[in-house]
Amino acid sequence: MRSLIDFIVKTKHWLVFILLEAVSLVSLFSTTGYPRSVYFTTANGIVGATYDVISSITSYLNLQEENRKLEATNQQLRQQLLHMQETLDTIKGDTTQRMPSLPTRYNLVHAQVINSSLHKKHNLMTINKGEADGIRPEMGVVCSQGVVGVVYMTSQHYSIVIPLLNEKSKTSCRLRKSEFFGSLIWKQGYCNIAHLNNIPRHAKVQKNDIVETNGYSDIFPAGLPVGQVQQIDDSDSGTSYMIRVLLYVDFTTLREVSVITNFSSQERQSLETEASNYDDTNDNTYSETRNNKAKETDKSKDSQKNKTTTPST
Amino acid sequence: MSSNIIMRTLRLLSLIILQVLVFNNMHLFGFITPLVIGYMLLCFSHDTTRVSLLLWGFATGLLHDMFANTAGMAAASMTLVAMIRTQVADMFSPRDAAEDFVPSVTTMGLGKYFLYALLLMTVLHTTYIMLNTLSFANISLTLISIGSSSLTATILCVLIDIFTHPSRQYR
Repeated sequence: MRSLIDFIVKTKHWLVFILLEAVSLVSLFSTTGYPRSVYFTTANGIVGATYDVISSITSYLNLQEENRKLEATNQQLRQQLLHMQETLDTIKGDTTQRMPSLPTRYNLVHAQVINSSLHKKHNLMTINKGEADGIRPEMGVVCSQGVVGVVYMTSQHYSIVIPLLNEKSKTSCRLRKSEFFGSLIWKQGYCNIAHLNNIPRHAKVQKNDIVETNGYSDIFPAGLPVGQVQQIDDSDSGTSYMIRVLLYVDFTTLREVSVITNFSSQERQSLETEASNYDDTNDNTYSETRNNKAKETDKSKDSQKNKTTTPST
Repeated sequence: MSSNIIMRTLRLLSLIILQVLVFNNMHLFGFITPLVIGYMLLCFSHDTTRVSLLLWGFATGLLHDMFANTAGMAAASMTLVAMIRTQVADMFSPRDAAEDFVPSVTTMGLGKYFLYALLLMTVLHTTYIMLNTLSFANISLTLISIGSSSLTATILCVLIDIFTHPSRQYR
């Protein structure tokens, strides 16, 4: 106690000094006006900074809880993602979603490939939809990547399709950029390569040009993608180009396809048939495959023998 | 003792009147406002206790604040100067100075007294002006104001000391 009194006596001038300074500063900062506003601004700044430090410390301490919450949210989102992916896969079965370039006015019958060959000279493909679903011969078959082939024969519930990978397949195609057209044929060998011939030598062809249907047939509408130019060669005769086309459709994994059921126009077919009869040019390949009733009957009777009929486009 | 108090009180009132009525209205060049009330603390004898100095300084500052509406600025500044005044006076006083030694031009010489006054006036003005501005914005103008006001106040204090000869009149 005595030492405390001694200490106070010894340092009494300090105590008086602090007291007087405190009185002065309190009177200074308690008056309204500039000093008071500066005091409050500074004080708020200091308090804010202190709260900031405290908040950063407490937020660090709460990290574990935050982590737990984040993990729970992550789990929930992962489940949602899986669900969405499943939904997306289901939607992909609908070919209207898978073939954006196809105009919506065409009716599509969704089908699945149930059998196909790839390494024969005359490959064929079987799909699980037939006449009962409105499918008729000479209808175009497409998938999300592009053109698949043409329906060749139909039964009540199944159809045979001549894919592009058939040496008898002949599809009229054009180059998207230059619009020069030719026939797309296939030669036995690679199941992802076809050839576009009869492209004139003055045509400007570049690698990676897109090859698409040109709409000259009544099987495919114009503009459906087929493939892209991989290599430009001369034809055997040397008078035109023979373009090596990398097909978009992967026939090795092809499963979901769609058949265009309402593209063929009866009026057009009858007009073309009439013209061909008038000219009596029976050697024209397209006239052989028109929707002629007599021939249609013959086909159905002797369908297996009629393989030489080319679904020319 | 009582005469000392009366003289000090008279000096205090004179300085306050001088400060409030004359020097507070000077504003030389727009930024020089000398605080001659600081002279109050310069001429206390060495044997004055620190508490006494603090109280006198605070009272002087408080009176100035009351008349000049400066709300504690002068009181705080004068209290700080009163606190350090003893050490500063010891720095400039002769080693063999008597206990009742009173700092003045006659006892210390003009040079030492000038430096002694300049140091204390600089502390006083720095505190006062910084409390007045409460900001480091435009610091160059603030520093010029502190320096010029301190110098002017020091010169005024030396002149007042020469004219009043406090060491001879009272202690």
